[in-house]
Amino acid sequence: MLQIRNLHVSIDGQKILRGIDLDVQPGTVHAVMGPNGSGKSTLASVLAGRDGYEIEQGSVTYNGQDLLDMDPEIRAREGVFLAFQYPVEVPGVTTMYFMREAVNAVRKHRGEEELSAGEFLKLAREKIGPLGMEADMLKRAINEGFSGGEKKRSEIFQMAMLEPRLAVLDETDSGLDIDALKIVADGVNSLRSAERSFVVITHYQRLLNYIVPDYVHVLSEGRIELSGDKDLALELESRGYGWINDDVVPQAVAGV
Amino acid sequence: MPAIADRADVYLERFNDALARAAAEPTWLLERRKRAMERFLQLGVPSLKHEEYKYTDLSALADGQLLFATRPGSAEAALPSYVAGGASDAGPQVLGRVPQGARVQSLAEALRAEPDLVQRHLATIADYEDHALCAVNTAFFSDAVVIQAERGAVLDEPIQLVFGDGPQGSLPRVLIVAGRNSSVQVVETYAGSGAYWRNAVTEIHAEENARVDHYRAQVESLDAYHTGRLQASQQRDSYVSSFSISFGAAVARNDIGTRLNGSGCECSLDGLYAVRGDQLVDHHTSIDHAMPHCNSHQLYKGVLDDRARGVFNGKIFVRPDAQKTDAVQSNKNLLLSDQSEVNTKPQLEIDANDVRCTHGATIGQLDSEAAFYLQSRGIGANRARNLLTYAFAADALERIKVAQLKEHFESLLLNRFASQES
Ligand SMILES: Nc1ncnc2c1ncn2[C@@H]1O[C@H](COP(=O)(O)OP(=O)(O)OP(=O)(O)O)[C@@H](O)[C@H]1O
Ligand SMILES: [Mg+2]
Repeated sequence: MLQIRNLHVSIDGQKILRGIDLDVQPGTVHAVMGPNGSGKSTLASVLAGRDGYEIEQGSVTYNGQDLLDMDPEIRAREGVFLAFQYPVEVPGVTTMYFMREAVNAVRKHRGEEELSAGEFLKLAREKIGPLGMEADMLKRAINEGFSGGEKKRSEIFQMAMLEPRLAVLDETDSGLDIDALKIVADGVNSLRSAERSFVVITHYQRLLNYIVPDYVHVLSEGRIELSGDKDLALELESRGYGWINDDVVPQAVAGV
Repeated sequence: MPAIADRADVYLERFNDALARAAAEPTWLLERRKRAMERFLQLGVPSLKHEEYKYTDLSALADGQLLFATRPGSAEAALPSYVAGGASDAGPQVLGRVPQGARVQSLAEALRAEPDLVQRHLATIADYEDHALCAVNTAFFSDAVVIQAERGAVLDEPIQLVFGDGPQGSLPRVLIVAGRNSSVQVVETYAGSGAYWRNAVTEIHAEENARVDHYRAQVESLDAYHTGRLQASQQRDSYVSSFSISFGAAVARNDIGTRLNGSGCECSLDGLYAVRGDQLVDHHTSIDHAMPHCNSHQLYKGVLDDRARGVFNGKIFVRPDAQKTDAVQSNKNLLLSDQSEVNTKPQLEIDANDVRCTHGATIGQLDSEAAFYLQSRGIGANRARNLLTYAFAADALERIKVAQLKEHFESLLLNRFASQES
């Protein structure tokens, strides 16, 4: 589904990603962990198509297409979704209006009928209930005045509405209490399927108890230094990241 | 004497024609017209050297050609949809039925029916002694619309006036008198085609505890000059709101003011302007707090693209007697291009000590983070820009209580950038 090859990215001449290689197969969940500033959000932003990054080398192929060549909205319509680490507040545009436009843009792209206001509302209610949010939230401006937890749940709601094929969750668990964390994890798990893949960026192994990953990668200084299965997350939890750049043989630790 | 002297001939000649046409008018009105003409000849069309006009070049108007040129009446196509069918060559058009409790009359009718009322208010509210553009209108307007709301009448539907093309349309004059405890809404729409100068004056007199909600929607031809004056005079406990929509004209200058003559008055002067290309839009507001316990609010929002320019000057006078004044002013601008610009300036003169006056002005760009957020959900780049532009203006749009008007301009903002997709 997604192939990242030797991806080098810089911002304002400063190298951030220094040769990322990652393969994401349909139906798999990849956790990406790593210290602050290692480039996790940069990778997520580059996948979603945010401006301001210089792609110096490498390629990203998504379902056989050159992902880096697509506008952000085309990526979204093709099924790429980014749950933002810091969701943006957009005063003056209600979540309802926003999501209806978005859902219909995606549906149109797929050659499906656009949803009427009534149909949309029915769908939105279905998706929002399990996330422990009131439908009233739809009438509020996008993320405006939302608590940290509400913003994260709103991201999951948007994901549920758009039904992406590749969802990148950037620290969607940060700042959530255990109940909210379970709600978010349930939201993700209910979307897991043989066609849909997830890249879950997190600092905390705790999340991975609920969203059990197929692979765990450690990003450090712009490179994936280590990959393993879910046990690698436990290892990181107890040992930290300090040992990663020492000369360890990855297989010995991760047992892949 | 300023530059008008050598061009006075055109105006003087026209003035003699105008007086001949107005021969049947009462002496008091003819006297006011003559005095206005005298003042205009002394003042001239304001030049860039005039402090109040330093960003707004009206030199093309100085010779009067654009004002007096006869124009073909072909406004149908240029009229906004919510007033479609309301065009007339013969001058202002009143749309729909006039609600119970209101009277909408021509100047001649009003002079016959209520000469005293007209004499009391017409050309006494909007000053022409120091305001050249108002002086031109006062000297030359050929007809007026006189709107009265009877004492106690609460009018549920807005009275809509449409000023389209046509020879009578250049100098619109409106007088609104809201009787004690009455409530009236008036919508004035200005639209046309081709190059012309429209110079409009509206006066509002709000009696004790009256409420007037006034809207002016300016969607003139992009080759036109529009100068407009709205001046209100408020008696105690009255409420006047003005909403100025300015989307049209090459150059638009609006002077909007109210004088709070009694205690317990409230006023709201709001506006929304959206300009592009080489358009210029200039709003000068003035609120004169003469008496205690009055509140005023101002919210002006502007959207500027290409090389368009915006000017906002908001004057608030708080006279020595006006204790407990509460005045809030805000002007916010969204620049959609590098070359658009705004000059915004609050001007507060406060001569009382127990008052609250706040003002703020902002000039910002579209939030690129917000645009990316919308795009990342599948919304096209231009659609995202439209949504954010609309969102910027949303709180101003909320203040438009006439549904068709609000929807019309909402949709103009929502479709400002052409969608790239079919
Ligand atoms: N817009 C920017 N301009 C300059 N430097 C940036 C910008 N965005 C990120 N960086 C830098 O790039 C590096 C990687 O940042 P990134 O946000 O990708 O890290 P991260 O792994 O997501 O960290 P965290 O765990 O704190 O979220 C950091 O050194 C950061 O300061
Ligand atoms: Mg990050």
